[in-house]
Amino acid sequence: MRHSVRMSKTRYSFITGAKGVAPILIGVAPFGLVAGAAIRHAGFGLAESTGMSVIVFAGASQIAATTLFGSGAPLWVALCTALIINARMFIYSVSIAPVLAEAPAWARPILGYMLVDQNYAATMTDGRDHDDVDIVWYYVGGGVALWVVWQICSVAGALLGPFIPMSWGLDFAVPLVFLAMLAPAMKDKTAVGVAVVTGVAAAVLVPLLPLQSGLIVAILGGMGFGAWIDRPKAGESR
Amino acid sequence: MSPVVQFWLLIIVLAVGTWSMRSWPIILHGRVPHPPWLERVLRHVPVAALTALVVPGALYLHERSTYSFAPARTIAAVIALVVAWRTKNTLATLAVGMAALWVAQWALGALG
Repeated sequence: MRHSVRMSKTRYSFITGAKGVAPILIGVAPFGLVAGAAIRHAGFGLAESTGMSVIVFAGASQIAATTLFGSGAPLWVALCTALIINARMFIYSVSIAPVLAEAPAWARPILGYMLVDQNYAATMTDGRDHDDVDIVWYYVGGGVALWVVWQICSVAGALLGPFIPMSWGLDFAVPLVFLAMLAPAMKDKTAVGVAVVTGVAAAVLVPLLPLQSGLIVAILGGMGFGAWIDRPKAGESR
Repeated sequence: MSPVVQFWLLIIVLAVGTWSMRSWPIILHGRVPHPPWLERVLRHVPVAALTALVVPGALYLHERSTYSFAPARTIAAVIALVVAWRTKNTLATLAVGMAALWVAQWALGALG
């Protein structure tokens, strides 16, 4: 569906962005439930759960910080772990900044707040493949959809966390959706090479290195490999 | 400090730190120089990031900060990869992948 006279481009872009992340919401929901349940397990309540989900809004780091703090780790250890887990968002931010360049200065701090794995991935793949959307509004649509589902699910998790059957493996929806986004993004041999290098590095390093820092090392390795393949050859003008 | 106060402190510092990392590059874009080599490196971030997010989830079960190899997930991910590659359809990949996980979990459970 293209935007027509009946729908403004802004509205069409917002809805397309929300649709872009819709399949991921199935995977985000159990993740939010786990984050909420972790708060209860650590001995806190609905206020802490809601406060954390609203002002931090970064799932994996919320779960890690809560679980560590709840199991008696010092404050600074829980904090540093969570910040290292979120360090990949800095790379996303540098990478997505040119795509969101049309956004006015006042809106940029809010766009930064909305930057999570799922919204980054959808905007950089599906969003950029749509030549008829306003990409900033596409990004906002995805961000709002993720934000609303995340808040509802973390409250639900804080209320009924202990009763969710984990054996369904619904968390598996998260890697599956990223996989579906990855396939069309592999447009040339360099992209396949980057995926192979990053994949091997992630498989080996993520279980090995502490604090999920293997994720960042793998991403940096894949980026470096791609840049090395694309390096300007001797005698070739850039 | 009581645990509740400590936990709120954790929430606030984590929020400020996370927001800074994900916002400053977007805020400062256009005001700091953008060298050509940076463009070359950043071109590959989406593929690298997506792969790094897929692979551990496809190979391992991650519980209480330990990773254990999960063959049912690996089988399901390979099947989903074929579907993703052939159809380029997110919902089809998700549906087939989840169904494959349940069948593989059941089959591996029945065998072992």
